[in-house]
Amino acid sequence: MLRAVVMALSIFFLAAAAAAQDLQSVLQTYSDDIAKPSRRTVDQAITALIDSDLPEVPAFLQAWQEKNVWQNEETGLFYYVEGSDPITLIDLSTGEAVGTAPKSVMAQIKPNAGVRGVIGSALVQYQLLDPEYDRRAAALDAISRDGSAEQLAPLAASIADEPDTGLQARKERLLMMLTARFAPLSEDRVAAIEALSSDVSVDVRAVMNQTLTTTTGVAAALPEGANIAAIREVGPDFDVNTAYAELAAAGLAQPTVTEDDLKSALIANIVDDQIAGVPVAAMSDPAERVRAYQGLVDTGLAAPFVPMADREAAVAAHVFYTQYDEADQFVTDAAAAAIKQIELKVGAMQTADLALDAISLASIYFLAAIGLAVTFGVMGVINMAHGEFIMMGAYTGYVIQQVIPDYTVSIIVALPVAFIVTFAAGVAMERLVIRHLYKRPLETLLATFGISIALQQIAKNIFGTQARPLTSPSWLDGALVFNDVVAISYIRIAIFVLAVMFLCLILFILKKTRLGLEVRAVTQNPGMAASMGINPDRINMLTFGLGSGIAGIAGVAIGLYAKVTSEMGADYIVQSFMTVVVGGVGNVWGTLAGASLIGFLQKGIEFLNPSNTLAAQTYMILFIIIFIQFRPKGIVALKGRAAGN
Amino acid sequence: MTKSFLATNRSVLVFLLVLSLFTLAVTVMAEATGYGLISTSFVKTLGKTLCLCLIAIAMDVVWGYCGILSLGHFAFFGIGGYAIGMWLMYARTEEIVAGSLANQPLPATPQEVSDAIGTQIFGVVGSSDFPLIWSFAHSLPLQLLAILIVPGLLALVFGWLAFRSRVTGVYLSILTQAMTLALSLYLFQNDSGLRGNNGLSGLQNIPGVSASQDDVSIWFFWASAVALGLGYLLFAFVTSGKMGSVIRAIRDDEARVRFLGYHVESYKLFVFTITAMVAGIAGALYYPQAGIINPAEIAPIASIYLAVWVAIGGRGRLYGAVIGATLVSLLSSWFTGGSAPAINLGFYKIVWTDWWLVLLGLSFVVVTLFFPQGIGGLFDFVAVKRNSDYGPSEGAWRAEEGKPE
Repeated sequence: MLRAVVMALSIFFLAAAAAAQDLQSVLQTYSDDIAKPSRRTVDQAITALIDSDLPEVPAFLQAWQEKNVWQNEETGLFYYVEGSDPITLIDLSTGEAVGTAPKSVMAQIKPNAGVRGVIGSALVQYQLLDPEYDRRAAALDAISRDGSAEQLAPLAASIADEPDTGLQARKERLLMMLTARFAPLSEDRVAAIEALSSDVSVDVRAVMNQTLTTTTGVAAALPEGANIAAIREVGPDFDVNTAYAELAAAGLAQPTVTEDDLKSALIANIVDDQIAGVPVAAMSDPAERVRAYQGLVDTGLAAPFVPMADREAAVAAHVFYTQYDEADQFVTDAAAAAIKQIELKVGAMQTADLALDAISLASIYFLAAIGLAVTFGVMGVINMAHGEFIMMGAYTGYVIQQVIPDYTVSIIVALPVAFIVTFAAGVAMERLVIRHLYKRPLETLLATFGISIALQQIAKNIFGTQARPLTSPSWLDGALVFNDVVAISYIRIAIFVLAVMFLCLILFILKKTRLGLEVRAVTQNPGMAASMGINPDRINMLTFGLGSGIAGIAGVAIGLYAKVTSEMGADYIVQSFMTVVVGGVGNVWGTLAGASLIGFLQKGIEFLNPSNTLAAQTYMILFIIIFIQFRPKGIVALKGRAAGN
Repeated sequence: MTKSFLATNRSVLVFLLVLSLFTLAVTVMAEATGYGLISTSFVKTLGKTLCLCLIAIAMDVVWGYCGILSLGHFAFFGIGGYAIGMWLMYARTEEIVAGSLANQPLPATPQEVSDAIGTQIFGVVGSSDFPLIWSFAHSLPLQLLAILIVPGLLALVFGWLAFRSRVTGVYLSILTQAMTLALSLYLFQNDSGLRGNNGLSGLQNIPGVSASQDDVSIWFFWASAVALGLGYLLFAFVTSGKMGSVIRAIRDDEARVRFLGYHVESYKLFVFTITAMVAGIAGALYYPQAGIINPAEIAPIASIYLAVWVAIGGRGRLYGAVIGATLVSLLSSWFTGGSAPAINLGFYKIVWTDWWLVLLGLSFVVVTLFFPQGIGGLFDFVAVKRNSDYGPSEGAWRAEEGKPE
């Protein structure tokens, strides 16, 4: 009964198809290509669909791509469907239910990924005009990912009607890039390429590079009409043997005898422990091996060597070149000029980006070192546990985040709490240990080192060895992007701002407050300061607490961008001492100069050898060791009375 | 009126006697030569401890006597280890490669042998070519020479640069620490030519020797004991007599010695270089017993530990350094080895593998604060009456540090 209905319907449809050009009839023409599409054959069907200009084609393509089209295997007709067994059939053109069919006769059409890609690019031209913003943006994404010549015309046609100005600009830019690659007229392409040559974005560079792809070749003479990029001269970069190997690979010369060929020929011809009359035992000598092989050549058992002179002659008789895959010389010339201009610009921007990186690294070093500059620089006390104060601050931040789940609030709370915790630790350390050692600086170094390993191990015992996260608030996520080359993450900007704030704060405390005055007095002459009524003990204690407290805040900042581990302080301690020593002891500006020098230097060396940050650190330390030879007192050396002894 | 060297340095005789007795006792108890009362691995531990004592007395001379707190001597120790390790690894791999190439139909050419060794050694860092630094690895005498020359030369150049520009005190310490850090970071790279962080391994197998590890361990123990004895003699000689006085004077007041007409830099350079060379020898004896060397061994922290040993043992006396190194390194391996009994406090159980470093760190602070003369200072109560310190202030040099042994 049901089958009869279906049959009747299909007959009706076939009749209708004959009457007018409708979707189903177009589909029936290419029935096989639609039902079992392959990437190679599907083009024809899609072209026919598009050419039919029927309004329901985009919806059909979409459904086809999403595997929502079914075919009745008995009648060969295509439907959208609803429900499972029995399946409700929905007409492709009208969208109305036209009957049902048992599941057994219906087959879902499942185009493979390659075909779906082809359908997708055919769909792009419709999506470009889609009323929905998201669809249009997605279509542009698809084009910029994988552009092709066919998209050129629809894209150009869609620009005028684009309501959104942002998308319109994007469309125009994409059109320019497609024109540069695929336009039929070389004048158009050259014009587009020239227009793009001021753009440094990655996709424009990709367009240029795709236009400029080359292949290497070798021939007796330069091929006629080829767009030659360069002729490769035989020289230090391209030696005779490499050239000859290329010749042999191209079948233009007889291959040379390689080490492996020689060895296998020798092994194949061992007769009674002899090879061509040379005993096998003598084969540990390379010269004997050659002699034996020559013997094999003479008896015709092996291919002869190609003498060097022959190789040179063969190489000289041929021309080696690289050839553009793009045949049009005007286009490649324009693209080469454009990429040169772009690269120049990119280079300048990379320098700017590098400078930004260096500034942010310098601010991290500055933050890590500024507390040390106070304790070491002002008080002359070596505090090897300074790194552990940084770690302590970071762990304080971590603990507070466990208590206060809101990241913004927790960071705001963590900064002062970290200061208080490390301030207290610093004061305790000064009172208990350092105060007794002011006249024995080397022993201060060792005693504070003892504290440092104890603190590190205690942190390990409490928090374990794995890294703990200190999560930054979401408004610090992401990066400030200037263009495809220059970008800086907000967290680094925040650290920079923090560093500047600390610079100002320290300068203010030292220069403008009573405490700062007393600190400077005690630094220069403790005895005289004491006789003026300043209590040096109290000042030393406060100064040390201040330096340690700043280390705690630095710890929170560093923890935000690096992981919090018990060893994180140890990673910074040597660098921090370097920063202070290079900058000049006893001077905040010196620390700033030292941090900048070290930050820029490290980034600079990393830029020259990007694969190897370890080497960068090595060279930087060597540089510092040599630098100290020439300026033992650092960049900003104190003069006169302030220099003390 | 001049007395002989040994008469003025009675501690040397005592030390050598104790060392000989100790060596004899270990020999009698070892697996290979005696009754097997102590295991081979413990013989190795003792042998390694002797090497650590050797570098500790070197450190004592440079810090306790000359006042240069070098945080780089473990780098020289490591260089010595690498120098001998290169030969050990090369020669050992050569034996293995020769064995495997012997089965091939054609006898191998020298080039093939060298390539095969290169692949074996540098396979872990994705390379097979011998770096320039391995040029002499095939020759034992040259590598033995390198144990002395490379640390010596490095110390000479570094010391010349540093002393020439009058870098002293904590600055010098930080600078030496930076040098150590630079070296260890450099060695951590895979393309440093020394197998990156894999380091050199299998050093306990001595090429061309088929004896068991029982025998080898006791040989190295003897060698370490002899080296320590000779090192002690050498440094006792260096720090006695007129030269010793100058060296100690530099520690106490460098400027005054300079004004008296001595060329301070030369003395410092001599002490720095010779201690570096001895550190190299100690390393060359240590690492074949340890079996493996990697860049982590020369991280700055190791050199600081060295200073810790010397400080705990007692600066300015050679036997103090020996006591400190022995005590701390053996205690350290006892505590971290997990054999120390845990202390149950009821609310918390102190497991020593976790808390040993805390104990060490704090005891170090206590020693620095309250017992600046270290454990060695205890001998003064037995031997001689305390003299008053030099100078009135709290930080003045103590009599024990300034007086010849």
